[in-house]
Amino acid sequence: MPKYMLLLHDNPASFADVSPEQMQKVIEKYMAWGDRLRQAGQMHAGDKLTDEPGKVVRRRDGQVRVTDGPYSETKEVLGGYYIIEAASYDQAIERSRDCPHLEYGGTIEVRQVDMI
Amino acid sequence: MAGPETEQDSAHQLVDHLFRSRAGQMVAWLTHVFGPEHLELAEEVVQDALLKALQQWPYSGVPDNPGAWLLRVAKNGALDVLRRHSAFRERSHQIIAELTRRFDTSEPARWAVEDDELRMVFMCCHPSLPPDGRVALSLKTVGGFSVPEIASAFLVSDATISQRLVRAKRTLRERQVGLELPHGWDLHERLESVLEVIYLLFNEGYNAHAGDDLVRLDLCGEALRLGRLVADSPVAAPASHALVALMAFQAARLPARVDGAGELVLLEEQDRSLWDRRLVALGFAELERSSEGPEMTAYHVQAAIAAVHAGAATPDETRWPEILTLYDDLLALNPSPVIALNRAVALSRVAGVRAALDVIAELENDPALANYYLLPSVKGRLLSDLGDLYAAAACYRSALALPCSEPERRLLFRRLRECDPTHTA
Repeated sequence: MPKYMLLLHDNPASFADVSPEQMQKVIEKYMAWGDRLRQAGQMHAGDKLTDEPGKVVRRRDGQVRVTDGPYSETKEVLGGYYIIEAASYDQAIERSRDCPHLEYGGTIEVRQVDMI
Repeated sequence: MAGPETEQDSAHQLVDHLFRSRAGQMVAWLTHVFGPEHLELAEEVVQDALLKALQQWPYSGVPDNPGAWLLRVAKNGALDVLRRHSAFRERSHQIIAELTRRFDTSEPARWAVEDDELRMVFMCCHPSLPPDGRVALSLKTVGGFSVPEIASAFLVSDATISQRLVRAKRTLRERQVGLELPHGWDLHERLESVLEVIYLLFNEGYNAHAGDDLVRLDLCGEALRLGRLVADSPVAAPASHALVALMAFQAARLPARVDGAGELVLLEEQDRSLWDRRLVALGFAELERSSEGPEMTAYHVQAAIAAVHAGAATPDETRWPEILTLYDDLLALNPSPVIALNRAVALSRVAGVRAALDVIAELENDPALANYYLLPSVKGRLLSDLGDLYAAAACYRSALALPCSEPERRLLFRRLRECDPTHTA
């Protein structure tokens, strides 16, 4: 089955007023969501990225330049990714629908991993 | 969570309310470490630690010991605060020692945690704070509840709770209230205040709209937890045990209090097999402990009444004469018309309905009960027991004109329809 990368963009304002109880419920939902995929053998990888904008490396005017990554208080930040297996884009999207990441304003970018 | 178990099976399940209870414990701990004037800083560090878990665990899974993970992250957060805030520079060695003490396994860790929480509750119940401030602050700090959760429990706005918290914290700062437990008479007074707040919390949760807001039921659990914290501590007095007994007996009945359709079920109609046996046992154990010593408070008597109900396998086996005597004792301690009304119900079982109706006739003259829906409601019940359905229906209609909660209103309608089947409004 094809693989898809889920890029999880965080909304920086998300968890301002969330209570400990609610946070626990969200984590429990994540565990349930992840378990469903794991039990079907469809969860391949997942990592959190560190909370800083990182660096951008590019060649410009004949030189390699390094700048700070995109940072903005209001813009979404890439928080982490998963690589899952699904039969089609539609199915990958179905899997993303009930990902708890969406509950507090986050977005999920879904891209198919190209197998050549 | 459905699904077959596999070797890769998850995630350690999280204990119910782990985050909330750990949040409360850690806020109490860090308030102690930083000093009570830095309560808000303690709250920030704890909130950050929980957020880190929320951001990390979805990818890495729940750690083997989630509580320890949270504690470690909170400790690191506290060390960060130390580095960043000059206010702590002088005390930084002492604070670092305090922070690492929690991780020293040679210490009796369990007591240390409860000690912090106990001090926190006592601080939150300082006499300079108004009762609603004490309740809000206790729930927010030791309870681990959020402002919206507390607001929804007390049916007020978030802003109202926030204001109560701001005022309470400011008062504590201005008076430089610390975490030291009071002594002697001050301790006695403070303990009274603490028990009052705990019981207030419990009642708020107990009288929750049937089936509705789960947060309000959590209040009963939290009140019971705090009550046991106090009762198991060196500063406990017999009244502490009596209060825990009372709450345990009442909480034991919660599973039977609401039927499958979400409707309120009163004591005499409850399925007693649904009562929580563990809590009933706790009630009897704490009642026993409360009798050590000469002190006899209203909590003692109320707990004793609840114990008589708890000991009756069926409503018919209820020892009403004993309950009546206890109500006499209660009335002597606290001559409240509401208690007199409850006593009237017991009186009806012992001396007959007419004796009770005589008492109720007197109570109807009491302006304190003018808006109390239970007065006409109880009268209606007694009249329908006598067979006077017409008069009973009139009472229920009066009761419905008075303020009460939705599930109680629905119960009153059911009673009214039983007396007057033609009533459709």
